[in-house]
Amino acid sequence: MAQLHYLFVLMFIAFCAVAVTLAFRIRIKRFWRNFLLADGSILVNYLIWDYWAIKKENWSFDSEQILGFYLFDIVPIEEVLFFIIVPLMTVIVYVTLIKILKYLKEKR
Amino acid sequence: MTYSDIALYAVLFAVVTDLYFIRVQIITRGIFWLSYGLIFPFQLLTNRWLTSNHIVIYSSEQIIGVRVAGAPVEDLLFGFSMILLTLSFWEFYRARDKEFSDR
Repeated sequence: MAQLHYLFVLMFIAFCAVAVTLAFRIRIKRFWRNFLLADGSILVNYLIWDYWAIKKENWSFDSEQILGFYLFDIVPIEEVLFFIIVPLMTVIVYVTLIKILKYLKEKR
Repeated sequence: MTYSDIALYAVLFAVVTDLYFIRVQIITRGIFWLSYGLIFPFQLLTNRWLTSNHIVIYSSEQIIGVRVAGAPVEDLLFGFSMILLTLSFWEFYRARDKEFSDR
């Protein structure tokens, strides 16, 4: 179970994303196309930074608490997922706030 | 370069990209700061979980040593840059997509 410790936090964020999407009935035209383009634009950047930081031992990961799959031998797969799930949650928070503000404006 | 340096460069890179490269300038809009304000406490929660369980271990030589919710203060800069770039590129592609389908 300890191996899932990092994954838990990602699952928690993903769960929040799904909950918010359902609760506020978020439906955005061509969401995935635009999200993948946006995330794709930053993903490479952050993975390079991450790779470099791990290589330089700026930070390291407890091998007991991660799944044990690596990108380029040193970047845990959880880090890759982190750079996808966190931006996804970020965009969902953003579009939800826009929807709420629009609703409040129309109601007035 | 230490983590402190790279975190500062990350913020600088994100701000310059948003303002001058892709020119979305989302950083000037209130909705960006509102979104950031809402995500920020969740970043603290995430950082607390990852550091208190020693899932991620930071080298003390590479940071200035100020910690917030268990993680180096540099992490907050890094997080800010990621949220800014994500929303900036989201708006960038969405605007272009709309132009495309309107034609």
